[in-house]
Amino acid sequence: MTTLHAEWTKVRTVPGTVWLLVGVVALTVAPGALAAGAMPSGGDPAKSALTGIVVGQAIVVILGVATVSGEYGTGMIRTTFTALPHRLEVLAAKALVVTGLVLAAGAVAVAGSVAAGEALLPGGLPFTGPVVRAAAGSVLYLGLIAVLSVGVAVLVRDAAAAVGLVLGLLYLTPIVATLVADPTWHDRLRTLSPMTAGLAIQSTVDVAAEPVAPWSGLGVLALWAAAALVTGAAALRLRDA
Amino acid sequence: MEATIEVTGLRKRFGGTTALDGMTFTVAAGQVTGFVGPNGAGKSTTMRVVLGLDAADAGHALVGGRPYRELRRPLHHVGSLLDAGALQPSRSARNHLLWLAHSQGLPAKRVDEVIAVTGLGPAAKRKAGGYSLGMRQRLGIAAALLGDPPVLMLDEPFNGMDPEGIVWMRTFLRDKAREGRAVLVSSHLMSELQDTADHLVVVGRGKVIADTSVAELIAAASGDRVTLRTPDRTQAMTVLGRAGGTVAATGADTVTVGGLTSGAVVALLTDNAVPFTEIAAHRASLEEAYMELTRDAVEFQAGQS
Repeated sequence: MTTLHAEWTKVRTVPGTVWLLVGVVALTVAPGALAAGAMPSGGDPAKSALTGIVVGQAIVVILGVATVSGEYGTGMIRTTFTALPHRLEVLAAKALVVTGLVLAAGAVAVAGSVAAGEALLPGGLPFTGPVVRAAAGSVLYLGLIAVLSVGVAVLVRDAAAAVGLVLGLLYLTPIVATLVADPTWHDRLRTLSPMTAGLAIQSTVDVAAEPVAPWSGLGVLALWAAAALVTGAAALRLRDA
Repeated sequence: MEATIEVTGLRKRFGGTTALDGMTFTVAAGQVTGFVGPNGAGKSTTMRVVLGLDAADAGHALVGGRPYRELRRPLHHVGSLLDAGALQPSRSARNHLLWLAHSQGLPAKRVDEVIAVTGLGPAAKRKAGGYSLGMRQRLGIAAALLGDPPVLMLDEPFNGMDPEGIVWMRTFLRDKAREGRAVLVSSHLMSELQDTADHLVVVGRGKVIADTSVAELIAAASGDRVTLRTPDRTQAMTVLGRAGGTVAATGADTVTVGGLTSGAVVALLTDNAVPFTEIAAHRASLEEAYMELTRDAVEFQAGQS
């Protein structure tokens, strides 16, 4: 508990945190509102309203990486491990604090996006089961992106490298998938890509056309996040601080 | 728990460089132990191993009889200052101390206490990134004091301090030792530890060169020599040399004599009517004693690179 308390005190006493959280909300809601207003007929209203997640996640990556790499960049990490020598507890506390904040900001961002969608979409945003799943799943998606970012940052340490790696993994794998002509491999890549698979959770129209089912897709992202965190934890135990 | 640091047979290599080569020493309670040696001798690496930040290839380090990584709320056992810059510059000094306090289950009241003790005062509300090195050292000391620990371990705490700060630090270290705590202070400048340290662990090239009390070290370096001030240096050197003394001119009017007691020197000079104005047992400075001890270590390093 003291570890969690310390990490919470850390995160709330740097001025950057609150601005990044505001950024997550603003950059999620604004693109969603634009997309909702311009949705072509036959489009997926939930997907359109929640388009901003694709942009807002970049700020989540920066926040997740900053909580770890910020300490490596300044040498502060040695102060942290001197006060809290149980490194895995520190990693768990960091992941919990950042993910908690991102889930809170994500909930606000998604609520804003849904409200904007309801107001701007031609037919409004009906509160059906799939739409609720898409909204709640989008909040969880951002939370998992935070975990992924913390894990990669522990592994890579350097902030620029970690942000580059996570954003590359998120944004480049779908582009690579479009370049692959073979339909089997095209679908496989889309199933393995953390962003494409994870965002299947937003699908409410023609769900069967997705390469992966909604919750399975979010599961793929969860596996990526877990793998990053476990690998980071192993490195943290073995390496000198 | 007992107030000690025990370091036994530490070895560590960074790539092809041997940082620690069988480092072994013990820091006792109730005194200031100086940890001195040239840059690169392994002082900081030893301290990082003691704190569990770096893992040694061999050997072990114990604090109060236990490995640091096994301590719960370790700031109650050891207060340390390794790198005064190891903090997030955008956080205020007070908030830096606050998260540290929370990490040890300590209340915010304790933060205000250590701020007062270290003289940070109103500056504690400012961002730590804007602090001078001397101010950061004080902040580091405040952090080390949070848990009121029986053991203190400070790496180069005099760095960047102004004269007033150095006097404050000396008094602080002596006070903490008098309270019965074990205090380990590293420095690459022996002069900083003069009048502060009781005991010295002198290191070079990753191992201990000397582990001795300050009094013994100075006595050994001084030898049984006599320093003499005379307006007639040549005549004095001739007379004393003829009597079997080892004579060396150390200044325009000063001579150091070995192999003769001060009584014999006075008698010889008086008998031969050589004038002299001052005669005293030679007392080496701590700096001199230290230079003699570490000369080999430094030369070896210079030869290598």
